[in-house]
Amino acid sequence: MRHSASTWVAEAAAVFMKEWRCEFRTRYSLNTLALFAFTTLVVVSFSLGPLGVSLSKGTALLPVLLWITLLFSVAAGLPRAFVQEEETQTAMALRLAATPSALFCGKLLYGLTLVFALEALVTPVYVAMTSLAIASPGLLVVVLAAGGYGLAVGSTLVAAIIAQARTKGTLFSVLAFPVLLPLLVLAVELTRVAASGTAPDVALPQLLLYDAVVTVAGLMLFPVVWNP
Amino acid sequence: MKKLLAWLLWLWMSLVILGAFLYAPLAKGFIGESSRILFFHVPMAWVSFVGFIAAAVWSARYLFFGRDPRHDRAAAVAIELGLVFGVLATVTGALWARIMWGAYWNWDPRQTSLLVSLLFYAAYLALRAAVDDRETRGRLSAAYALLGLVVTPFLYWVVPRITYSLHPDPVVNAQGKVEMEARMQHVLYASGIGFAALFFWIHNLQCRVQALLDRKSAL
Amino acid sequence: MTTTTLRFENLHRRFGRLAVLKGVSGAVEPGGMLLVTGANGSGKSTLLRCLSGLLAPDAGTIEYREKGTGLDTAERRLRVGVVAPDLAFYGELTVAENLDFFSRLRRVSAARGFAILDRLGLPTDRLAGALSSGMRQRLRWGWALLHSPLLLLLDEPFQNFDAPGERTARELLAEHLAEGGLAVVANPATLEFDHAAQRLDLGG
Repeated sequence: MRHSASTWVAEAAAVFMKEWRCEFRTRYSLNTLALFAFTTLVVVSFSLGPLGVSLSKGTALLPVLLWITLLFSVAAGLPRAFVQEEETQTAMALRLAATPSALFCGKLLYGLTLVFALEALVTPVYVAMTSLAIASPGLLVVVLAAGGYGLAVGSTLVAAIIAQARTKGTLFSVLAFPVLLPLLVLAVELTRVAASGTAPDVALPQLLLYDAVVTVAGLMLFPVVWNP
Repeated sequence: MKKLLAWLLWLWMSLVILGAFLYAPLAKGFIGESSRILFFHVPMAWVSFVGFIAAAVWSARYLFFGRDPRHDRAAAVAIELGLVFGVLATVTGALWARIMWGAYWNWDPRQTSLLVSLLFYAAYLALRAAVDDRETRGRLSAAYALLGLVVTPFLYWVVPRITYSLHPDPVVNAQGKVEMEARMQHVLYASGIGFAALFFWIHNLQCRVQALLDRKSAL
Repeated sequence: MTTTTLRFENLHRRFGRLAVLKGVSGAVEPGGMLLVTGANGSGKSTLLRCLSGLLAPDAGTIEYREKGTGLDTAERRLRVGVVAPDLAFYGELTVAENLDFFSRLRRVSAARGFAILDRLGLPTDRLAGALSSGMRQRLRWGWALLHSPLLLLLDEPFQNFDAPGERTARELLAEHLAEGGLAVVANPATLEFDHAAQRLDLGG
């Protein structure tokens, strides 16, 4: 057999590099994510500024809006990682050459970097535009990391599933939403906690557990989803 | 033999219905006769969940133990039935909520968790409808069912902890003691058994119908 | 026995109502070539896709032994060399970058792939999306032989080739067979080969 740990890593790294190399030449996903995120940000700041939402209602509402922005941007930009392979028919070559687990990790890593880049872009602007006070910035960073990871891993697996179906656009949202909902609830709760400075109870371990569980599920289910 | 069991089920469910209205006492703290809905609403929610577990088990058997189309079919039918029972549980729950809390929908965590489970079922069925090839369809929907299985506990355990629950205290509390009057327990558990039997009976029938339909479409 | 053999028995595959493979069997020995013939729609491409592991048959068995060791479907899928009309590469990357990427995936050096492309006369600095159909076919051959496979599954292997391209490809195939490799070929533009080939006619 051809397996050895170091070359498996090299395979995953090759997939990751290939994704970014292609992405830099077209900028398609980056543009989609950025456009989506900024449009949503503008709408949010409009609704809180000129239309006047009170500050107290704001602190309850703002974490939700942040995560909805992230969710919809991810849904707009991430599925392309697998959908495009099927549409341009490069999936055939990939099926015949790549080890499934390495492929999954490479794509996941790519999705992760997209999500983190998105969060790095959106969150400071969002906090500034809405004048949201953050009591524990450290916790906020942790939530963005763990929550962003959850978004990426769930979306990558669901993208792999719908890429082989018809009506991919709407189907992704339909399948991803129930999967991502627990993640979103936990992330919003923890963001509120980070903003208000209260102590996080069991929510953070639960978020990390969610990430772990979906990762394991992804590693086990992806080979079966990817290959007949 | 099958006919005998079917009649037995009919008899059992009839007794359950009679028992719900005549044998069991009213629960304390509920308005009028409304607590009787408990004997139907709760078992249907249980059975909907059982359907999901059964579908996940069949999905795992399909994926990892031989790719037998019968397992794929059994999983799909279990999800369909789980959806039906789940919708009924949601509707009966909403009716009860209207009586007790004044509104059909309150964003109570249990209501919401059940609804999101139904979203899972509907998503599963939407996925199946979007894949034409039988082998691919079986593979993808089984994988999604298993993904749903690992995520659902988070829905049920996470969401209620975050918001205040309007739902009555769980019947079985932390000490494991059941806080319900004995006669109510009798009817409730009998109803649970009846609905479970009903589920599997309908499941069996529907699988056989679906098998015939599959054979016909392949001719 | 440390030889490489392919055996498939009673393969069935249907798509919805349409039964495409209805109990197809065959075998290939070292150095042997199986020529699959039949009318359009008789299942030639479907058979090749089953053999490459891209499609699971509804029934039947495929047994592939490489140097005496039996490989399962997942292993076989990564070991075969495939040329097919719908095989596509990354248009935003150059030919060289495509080869480099796939050689990393296959954990082999890209040297062999570049050597094949050199022989076929394909410049490697062009974007894969900017290739003519004949040049794309050359890239497919380079990709297929990149990891020195022992089993070649060729669907319309000389499609879009000009005369020199086809000649070189036939040489490559002959060399592959001479070294003890196996080949299953479907839909060749012409049915003549220098070496004797077993035939499997799918009718239709």
